[in-house]
Amino acid sequence: MNEILELFTYQFVLRALIAGSLISVCTSVLGVVLVLKHYSLIGHGLSEIGFASLSIAAALNIPAMIISTPSVILASFVIMFVSQRYKTAGDIAIAIASSIALALGIIISSLSGSVSSTSSYLFGSVLAISQWDLVFSIVLSLVIIAAFIVFYNRLFLITYNEDYARSLGINTTFYQLLISILTALIVVLGMRIMGTLLISGVIILPAVSARKVASDFRMLVIISGVISFVAFVAGLLLSFVFNVPAGAGVIIANTLILIILKVLVK
Amino acid sequence: MNRLTLENVVIKYGDITVINDVSLRVDSGEMIFITGANGSGKSTLTKTIAGLLPISSGKITRAEKISYVPQIEEADRNFPAKVREIVLTGTQRKGKLFYSKHDKELAKRFTNALGIDGLVDSEIKTLSGGQLRRVYLARALCGEPELLLLDEPCAGLDAESHEILFKVLCEILSKGCAILMVTHDDLDLTGIKANRVIRIEGGKIHE
Ligand SMILES: Nc1ncnc2c1ncn2[C@@H]1O[C@H](COP(=O)(O)OP(=O)(O)OP(=O)(O)O)[C@@H](O)[C@H]1O
Ligand SMILES: [Mg+2]
Repeated sequence: MNEILELFTYQFVLRALIAGSLISVCTSVLGVVLVLKHYSLIGHGLSEIGFASLSIAAALNIPAMIISTPSVILASFVIMFVSQRYKTAGDIAIAIASSIALALGIIISSLSGSVSSTSSYLFGSVLAISQWDLVFSIVLSLVIIAAFIVFYNRLFLITYNEDYARSLGINTTFYQLLISILTALIVVLGMRIMGTLLISGVIILPAVSARKVASDFRMLVIISGVISFVAFVAGLLLSFVFNVPAGAGVIIANTLILIILKVLVK
Repeated sequence: MNRLTLENVVIKYGDITVINDVSLRVDSGEMIFITGANGSGKSTLTKTIAGLLPISSGKITRAEKISYVPQIEEADRNFPAKVREIVLTGTQRKGKLFYSKHDKELAKRFTNALGIDGLVDSEIKTLSGGQLRRVYLARALCGEPELLLLDEPCAGLDAESHEILFKVLCEILSKGCAILMVTHDDLDLTGIKANRVIRIEGGKIHE
């Protein structure tokens, strides 16, 4: 136990703890909107597009964020608008785009000989969090939480029924863009700690667990955030104890919470 | 005061023309029934007036505050929400993010008027079809519309709810709201006198 507590005196562990907690809370809060609007798969699609962009950055030897941030934001817009226009085709579009992106990413990193550095992105690493990532996480979290407080009534309305919102004269495209950008940014930030293969679980699982206990949207958002925070801290500890990647530990912790709630709450 | 003007409006789905060169003018305090066979384009017309479908040509001038009750609400029946919150969303408008005290009073007044005041704390997934219908009507009324669009509002409502609804509608008509209602009901039974009855047939309207 002492060894574990000692871990938290290390700078990088503390950074991972703070940044990871903030990112977890934000992914799960956005996750509520994404799950209810049936965009659950978007995190999966975006992170694989993110992986491709990371491979390109590694091959060209330029900072990852410079390529991945704009490309993931762009992908997020495209996926949201394709799903909206061709209502049923959303999941298909995401699945196709993400597997193409993953294949491209693998090809680029194999050809450029950067497999070892990019493969750490697949599983994520707490070592990946730099000082700047921490600052960026704090700023982004504040933006996301503020957006949820200021736009709560709107997000509720648009998540429930976008057409009705439009009939009231509300510009739903603005909110769609807002959700797309915030999702893209949080995925870019979160995928390096959680792993590109696992970030979508961190988006979806807390919202699914929270639905077991929440009777309205507001509670769903709050409970989802709390569950995600608890699961992140527990998962991080798990990952230290068993010496496995943090993202995997967080997903297992989230899964345990889901199972417990499923058993306890009828 | 003018609430709605359609000038030579054409509405198409792809190549198929549903509404063909229709003109219409509706003033405040007017109650207009829209009738016509299944598939004649009643919902298409109301949806377009609500701003949810584009027009291929022509021009629509509408009042600013519109409330719309669709024939079928395309929303998740299991969405985690309580009746109160759904009803309140009807008061949102462009640029208006928060609910005022007045909005909450409106929500209370119309849930009372429609006899769903006992359900305001219920989750929507626990409601019956007719109860949910009344929730959507209350939501629309809360928006204090200048133009109210109702697409078969009586479908699934019992006789008592009909009567209650028409009492509320008469009240808002007298305050200057204009109402466009799609209905199949025998017009005598609806208990309210329409100023005009419009029948849609072959993409045209007949008064
Ligand atoms: N999304 C759509 N795409 C293509 N065609 C459509 C679409 N919605 C409706 N239509 C067609 O447009 C025509 C008018 O449909 P609409 O729903 O407006 O009829 P309606 O008068 O409301 O009928 P009902 O009495 O059954 O409600 C129908 O022929 C229908 O097949
Ligand atoms: Mg119809």
